[in-house]
Amino acid sequence: MAADEEADVFEITDFTTASEWERFISRLEEILHGWKLVNHPNRGPALKDVYTSGDWEEKSEDIFFADFKFTVTFIYLKVPESGGTDKKESQSPEQETEQDNADDESDGTLPTVFVDMMNMDNDFPFRAHCLCRWYGLQEFIVAAPASNSDVIENESRMKLLMSSISIALHNTECKVPLFVQFQQWWRKIYSGMCVMPDSTVEYEMVHLKKLPSQYNHLEGLLDIFKGKLGSTVSPRPPVSVSVRFTYVLQEWVNSPWPQSPPDFSSSLEGDVGCSDFRILPFGACEDPVSELHLSCTWPSLSEDMIVENQVYSDLDPLQAPQWTVRIQMTEDPQCLLGEYLKNCLQLCHRKETTDELLGCLFTEDSDNDQGADISQALQRLTQPSVSYNMPSLTTVMSQASSRLRIKAEEAPVPTELLNEILLYLFPDAKDSENTEKEGSKDEDSDELTEDEMRHQTYFKQLSKDLKSSPVNSVVHKLAVSLFTVNYHHGGLRAVAHLWQEFVLEMRYRLENNYFISGVENGQPNMGSCLLHQKLQMLNCCIERKIKREQLHKGYTGRRHSTDVTDLIPTDDNYIGCPEDVSMETDDAMNISVSETADNNESCENEHRASEQANMRLASNVDSSSEDEFFECAEENQSGRTEPVAGAEMVARSEMAGENTIVQSMSTSSLASNTSFKISGIPQHRPEGRLTPCGDLKLLRSGEQMYIPVTQEPSPMTEDMLDEQAEVLAKLGSSPEGTQLRAKMQSACLLSDMESFKAANPGCALEDFVRWYSPRDWIPNEGEEPDNEMPLPGEKGQLSQRMLIPGNMWVEVWQSAQAIPAHRQKRLFDDTKEAEKILHFLSAMKPGAVVLHLLPCLVHAAIIRVIENDDSDIPKLRMLLDQVIGKAAKVLRSPHQEIRRYEDLIKMISLAEVVIARAKSLKTKFTEELLDQPGAEEELNYFVSNLLQHPEVSIRGGPCGPAGSVIHKLFIAAQKSSYLVLDDETEENSGEAYRQSPTIPDFPNPSGREYILRTWVPRPAPYSKTLPHRMYCVLVDNDYRLAGAFSHDTIFQ
Amino acid sequence: MASANDSKWQKDAADQNFDYMFKLLIIGNSSVGKTSFLFRYADDSFTSAFVSTVGIDFKVKTVFRQDKRVKLQIWDTAGQERYRTITTAYYRGAMGFILMYDVTNEESFNAVQDWCTQIKTYSWDNAQVVLVGNKCDLEDERVVSTERGKQLADQLGLEFFETSAKENINVKAVFERLVDIICDKMSESLDSDPTLVNSQTKGTRLTENPSPQNSGCQC
Repeated sequence: MAADEEADVFEITDFTTASEWERFISRLEEILHGWKLVNHPNRGPALKDVYTSGDWEEKSEDIFFADFKFTVTFIYLKVPESGGTDKKESQSPEQETEQDNADDESDGTLPTVFVDMMNMDNDFPFRAHCLCRWYGLQEFIVAAPASNSDVIENESRMKLLMSSISIALHNTECKVPLFVQFQQWWRKIYSGMCVMPDSTVEYEMVHLKKLPSQYNHLEGLLDIFKGKLGSTVSPRPPVSVSVRFTYVLQEWVNSPWPQSPPDFSSSLEGDVGCSDFRILPFGACEDPVSELHLSCTWPSLSEDMIVENQVYSDLDPLQAPQWTVRIQMTEDPQCLLGEYLKNCLQLCHRKETTDELLGCLFTEDSDNDQGADISQALQRLTQPSVSYNMPSLTTVMSQASSRLRIKAEEAPVPTELLNEILLYLFPDAKDSENTEKEGSKDEDSDELTEDEMRHQTYFKQLSKDLKSSPVNSVVHKLAVSLFTVNYHHGGLRAVAHLWQEFVLEMRYRLENNYFISGVENGQPNMGSCLLHQKLQMLNCCIERKIKREQLHKGYTGRRHSTDVTDLIPTDDNYIGCPEDVSMETDDAMNISVSETADNNESCENEHRASEQANMRLASNVDSSSEDEFFECAEENQSGRTEPVAGAEMVARSEMAGENTIVQSMSTSSLASNTSFKISGIPQHRPEGRLTPCGDLKLLRSGEQMYIPVTQEPSPMTEDMLDEQAEVLAKLGSSPEGTQLRAKMQSACLLSDMESFKAANPGCALEDFVRWYSPRDWIPNEGEEPDNEMPLPGEKGQLSQRMLIPGNMWVEVWQSAQAIPAHRQKRLFDDTKEAEKILHFLSAMKPGAVVLHLLPCLVHAAIIRVIENDDSDIPKLRMLLDQVIGKAAKVLRSPHQEIRRYEDLIKMISLAEVVIARAKSLKTKFTEELLDQPGAEEELNYFVSNLLQHPEVSIRGGPCGPAGSVIHKLFIAAQKSSYLVLDDETEENSGEAYRQSPTIPDFPNPSGREYILRTWVPRPAPYSKTLPHRMYCVLVDNDYRLAGAFSHDTIFQ
Repeated sequence: MASANDSKWQKDAADQNFDYMFKLLIIGNSSVGKTSFLFRYADDSFTSAFVSTVGIDFKVKTVFRQDKRVKLQIWDTAGQERYRTITTAYYRGAMGFILMYDVTNEESFNAVQDWCTQIKTYSWDNAQVVLVGNKCDLEDERVVSTERGKQLADQLGLEFFETSAKENINVKAVFERLVDIICDKMSESLDSDPTLVNSQTKGTRLTENPSPQNSGCQC
């Protein structure tokens, strides 16, 4: 010690903490004081069953004995809030002053340990700390080695520890029992003591692998107990006994498992039934319920009343007053839906492409007929290299389909099944014959059972919450059938195969103008999954394509009438750039300028315009590649060098986009430079009128204003939108960025303005604003608008913001030409979009396809769970709500993470297991086993209780309806274990059994528990009468006797 | 803050210098002052007339909330009827909405219910909405009383402010309140969406209570 050296300086040495054990004791005392266990008031007797239903709390501290680390834990039953005020006060440590009162009161009452010892209300708690179970304590302290590997085996160390504890308890006057754990951790051997002012309680334990047979019953145990008490008092007060025997039922003779769920068996057989790929499988493969533990309890018997010895036993389970049942569930039973989902999830990690997966099939194939293959190879070699062009769409198509046809025999999905699935996905592909079938299907969905009706609300909520796709949509169906195919027909290869077929069908439908059935029309629904949106988009493309082609047909007839080649005055500053000119092909050829030189082109226009004022001018833009018009390609439009390009630009990179804008800006300014005035009245005929715009009259001409037919803005899927948002965001928040963004988005505005101009010859921006953005038109007060005035009259003015020089609206207005919507450049290039989508679909790796279909799969799985939930289990309700909430979140997350799906699928599997258990229990406790009529309700109550609680006491014990069912189950199991084969008497096997004396109704109890209690003066006959208790549990190869013996410390 | 860094931010588009990013949307009828409101907040500037927004525009502002940098990406939308389809597409993914009307314009107030329906239809369930009556400096021209605004907000279950972008009344309060509500909602949900959290500081969560806010109308 440092003090030794400086002894001259510091005379004081603290000798009280000189040795390790003294330090240990003082630390222990410190902890006890810290937990306020000193002068701890007595607690009343614990209420019935509070040990399992109440809250247990723990406090822990570390403590060292030399270098040996212990963890000291105070474990206590929380006193319920409704407890007496005295208790509450004394519990709160701040109010120690009032504790005297409590002490006074408690003088009359028994110390907590004694109360606990003799309290019979909590004899066999099914879930509690072992010390609580053995000694019936509601509060105790345990000191155990901090690490599981540290063991106290040495006898002298044990003694030293116990005496240290004894000193600490005496010093602090703490009345809470304190235990120390000895021997190996798993043996749970404790030794403990409780110190009170006038007595002590010693807790001792025996743990044996084998018990001598003379003690293996109540009589022997009583002998031990009495011997230990060593009481000489007579008459000796009787020992009260509580007994519980536990019987295990493992064989469920009446309900053998696996009970094949309908879809399970059929799919295993590889049967290609229709129901097969339409619904996900559900149910457990093995029995989710493994064992039933029946505990028969005899509470508080007197030792004189019962006899149990080696040859005779009074303890017949059928005579036991209390029966309780616990169900042992199979750990992690294999369930079909969960298996399916896990399987699917694994596919997401696969990186193979479709070609890699199906390619090997192809090579296998070509091995079969090598000759043909070689000749083909030769042919390929000899073919002139010039002919290697880009393969046209049709050749690729035919190749793809032919390739598929070649390997049809070896394809993972048999042709027959494939056709059936495709028909299921696209019911419209079949003829009238199928419509009947469809009708019947609808009927099916109408014929809802009550259970299903109950679930309907759930389903509705589900389809709103989950970002997947509607249940009857093709994407949903595809997801389900794809994963069934995955499970039963060769995994990812089958998925790749089916997907390839699906993509081919998509292309076929696009090319032949068939709508994709099972996908609702209209704008892509952002609340659905991306794949669904893509298909919706494809439908949009098909719709436009059909319309366009119809329009084209219609126009070829009356085209000449629309070929009006006029110049129109538009504003005070007439835009000179000639518009709306449809060139004769010859002329177009003459003037046509290559489209790569847009700027030059405009300059040329300028010159020409000045030279040929009255002539049509046009810059010819070749419409073959980029610029497609509503009308046929041969019809050339006049040079429109407006920022329409911005619309397409969005999809391009930022840089490219800016270039385009700059380009278009410069050209449009050029265009406005070329403006020259032409006085006169509008000459072009109005085109593309939709409907009159209220009573509004054109300001200048006073004619009726018309709302034009306009182009709908391009529909967008969410990835397109994100891409666009990103491009917009990348421009930054500077004023330049703002302006650029406005330019980029002006395509729609321009289109609307052009349509408006076409529909309202002679209109002005003011007119447009009055229709488009009415609040930017400020009518002059006091002056009644005079509709009849044909001359421009100042009846109002544009708002301040519309008058900002060089603002977007004015600029676009000036560059806008009177072109009806149908002849404008398409805002929505359906051809390109459709190609993009098809490319997206066909380029997807099967693993990615799976990931894209996961939302629908999850949706389908949840529906499946709900459908199967025919029992009203509150626990399941909660779980389902959790699953749905979680699913909604996971599916909406912008980044689809497999990890989060894993959690979700675990939850779904759990729900499946709960349902499977419920079903299993229902089949086990069938109503057929009931004797009494009208007891079904009681049985159902019992089963639902079993699902919700770990231990259920049977109402009416062995005589109740549930009890008799369990009795029958045991008889049947005994019968089968004794290999009795009497088929005839199976129904009333109970009767048969009672007649055969050799076979008992119940097996030997697998566990026996006894609690022996008595009041006896100890150690001397003149000592105070104190309670004693011994708990015994006898299980095969594990016998434990735990005794709590009190000791009078005054009169001994 | 953000306004000073604009040019810098522009260069470094993949700016990771924040803990959370909230996407907010300002919606409401045409010319109720959405753009002015945003400019007042982001740039602390006011012009009597901004060019009518075409399509959708945005500004960025970074705020601090309990030592966390919250980057606000505030989207400003065109109010014209014709732009509805375009702008509603952006509702998805927005965590907060500022629904604005003009206290001097009855029509814009009457449209609030409509806008609310739009939000319900197109946005995520957990999106937070604040109702804002703008131009409260124009007392002479006022046609929608504060009480009516409050009443409507109560009816729709929204927070309510009256503001003036011109006089800079309550502009900051609106955004602060909206950020607070969003943060509360985030802490509330048990497993807050990790995608909201910047990857660098994954796992951090807001748990403290929001600083008390003056949510009442100050004018």
